[in-house]
Order: sequence, then structure tokens, then C-alpha cells
Amino acid sequence: MTKLKLNFLLPTLAFVLAASPAFAQEVKVIKYKELEQIRNAPHDTLYVVNFWATWCRPCIKEMPYFEALTEQYKDQPVRVMLVSMDAVEDLDSRVKPFVQKRNLKSDVLLLDEVDANSWIDKLEPKWSGAIPATMVFNNKRKQYEFVEGELSQEALQGMISKYKP
Amino acid sequence: MKKANLPFVFFMCLLFVGALLAASPANPGYQVGDTARDFKLKNVDGKMVSMADHKDAKGFIVTFTCNTCPYSVAYEDRIIALHNKYAPKGYPVIAINPNDATASPKDSYADMQQRARDKNFPFPYLHDETQEITRAYGATRTPHLYIVQKQSDGKYKVAYIGTIDDNSRDASKVEKKYAEAALDELVAGKSISQPNTKAIGCTIKWKEA
Repeated sequence: MTKLKLNFLLPTLAFVLAASPAFAQEVKVIKYKELEQIRNAPHDTLYVVNFWATWCRPCIKEMPYFEALTEQYKDQPVRVMLVSMDAVEDLDSRVKPFVQKRNLKSDVLLLDEVDANSWIDKLEPKWSGAIPATMVFNNKRKQYEFVEGELSQEALQGMISKYKP
Repeated sequence: MKKANLPFVFFMCLLFVGALLAASPANPGYQVGDTARDFKLKNVDGKMVSMADHKDAKGFIVTFTCNTCPYSVAYEDRIIALHNKYAPKGYPVIAINPNDATASPKDSYADMQQRARDKNFPFPYLHDETQEITRAYGATRTPHLYIVQKQSDGKYKVAYIGTIDDNSRDASKVEKKYAEAALDELVAGKSISQPNTKAIGCTIKWKEA
């Protein structure tokens, strides 16, 4: 192989390798303002927003139930969003590897806000800050429910079938 | 009131109590301004500890925390610092582990003893085995602070409920020291300007019903 070919092939290979994980899940880093926009989304869609972290055992336990929703309702206006409370410094070292290892299909976001006291009450005054916590809403239909603590798969399925458009 | 009305009054009272019970399915715990109950819980040294044992204290920084929650671990050194700064001013820390050891094995009494030794906790680290105190206070996460102030009648008034500061991950980047601000105001005899704060934390691991 000539040097010229190598010069072409290697970057191509690198590009393909780098691009293929695009199929795998990306983690979008957001600020509170963007979370608020999601919370206020006007669409006739049932949003299922789960707050979790890689270090939170009960969160990881219930995560497959949320993943099951994403699969189950993939052609319906139900959108599951997994909002990580991990520190943004842990994005590459912990969150992304976690998401890839579990091959998560739901939308994964990381809320990059240090001072939780500045936003928790704005989002949901009933929330003490313990995770997991889950909110389900369809603003078009003025539906909203909030749960602090771990959900059973039955409870989650029950909530979704109650509200799904 | 006529005698004949008594059964009716009794019935109405029952109805009223029933309605009250139905209206409050879960105990939400203390709010700022409430009177906090004392406790008698086993410390890592085997002795039972109550707030009443500390005759000289002006109040306490009752801290629900545990071995296993990464947030609690991240705050350990800051809880020690809080104690070292405010115990001399009359407000020592009393740490309470609220987690059920079956649900969270690394929060067992033996593991608590180990952790207290490793970190050389200068304050009591108590095991709320029945979770009765955790429920009474209404703690939901770790760490979760309740700063109480001893009143002239010996009761403990809840002065602050919340978090330690605004940056759990990095103590060097803290901008707002919520608990210290509250304690400074308390020590100075002022009213607390921000008596409720929140933070992300681990859920308390409750006993299986």
C-alpha cells in the first residue's frame, strides 16, 4: 500500500469509526432553561421525564421500565427523556460509557446546573430533590403527574396508559 | 347541651377525626417553625444518644446521611468542618443514618462503625434502625439537614431544613454556603433569611413494608 493511499484510508477509517457510534445514543447537555422548555412543550405528546444519575441504584433499577416504554410507544406520541443529574465533569468518564454500555434508546440529557436549590422549586415544589423522580405530562391536554421515588413497572405502565394520547 | 345529643356529637367527632386521617395519608414531616422531637438512638460507640444529653448546646445540626450515597460521601468532610466550626458556637452535628440495612447492606451498623472510624467523625453517628425518627422529621434524601434551636422551655424548634451548600461535587467551587449562612444568623440571634433549601440527593432506603 502506498503512503498516499494510507493517508487517505486512515482518516476515512477514523471518520467511519467516529461516525458509526452516531447510531448509539448521544447525551445532550442542557441548562435549566431548556428543561423548562421541555416542561412547557405545547405538543399533544406525552412526555415522560425521568431524573436519574449513574450513581443512583434505584434509578438504574427502574431504567429498563422507561426503556421498555420507548420501544413500546416508538410510533406513538410518547417521548421518554432520561435527565441525568450527574455532574457535567462526569459526562465523558461516566455518563456516556453508561449510556453506551446499556445501549439506551430513550433520549438522554444531562442537566448541567450545579445549584439544585435554584431550580427544583421552579420545576416542581413538591420535589424534595431525591432521585429517582419522574414527571409525566401532556400540556396540550393539561395532564400532569409527578412521582418522587422508585416506580414499579406496573405503576409506570399504569400512568402511561392512563394518559397516552 | 341536652343529653340525647351526646351520641350524635360523638358520631360527628368520629367523622371529623376520620376526615382528618383521610386528608393526611402520609406524614409530611417537619416544616420550619415546628417543634422537633428528641430521640434516643444508638451511636457507633454503642451508647444511646439524645439531644437532651447535650445540656450546653443551643441547638443541633441534625444531619440525615449515610455510608452509601455518593452525595453523602462527597459531603462528609464538609459535615465534619460544619461540626468543628459550629459546635464551639453551641450547634454540634448529630448525624443519623436513616437507611434500612437490609435494603442497603453497606449501611449496616458495623459498616457505620467502620466509616466513623475511617473518617474519625467528631460527632455522633446514630443508627435509626426503626426509621421512626426519619419519618417523624420527614427526611427524604441523604444528606438532609435539620437545624434545630433549643427554646427556653427546652423544646427544639426547627430553624432550617435543607442542604449544606450549592455544589455537592466540588467543595472548592461552592458559592453559597446555605447551612453556614443559616447558622451564622441563628448564632447572631437573627431570623434566618433562607430557611428552606433543596438539593439533589439519594432517596432514603426504606424497609420493605
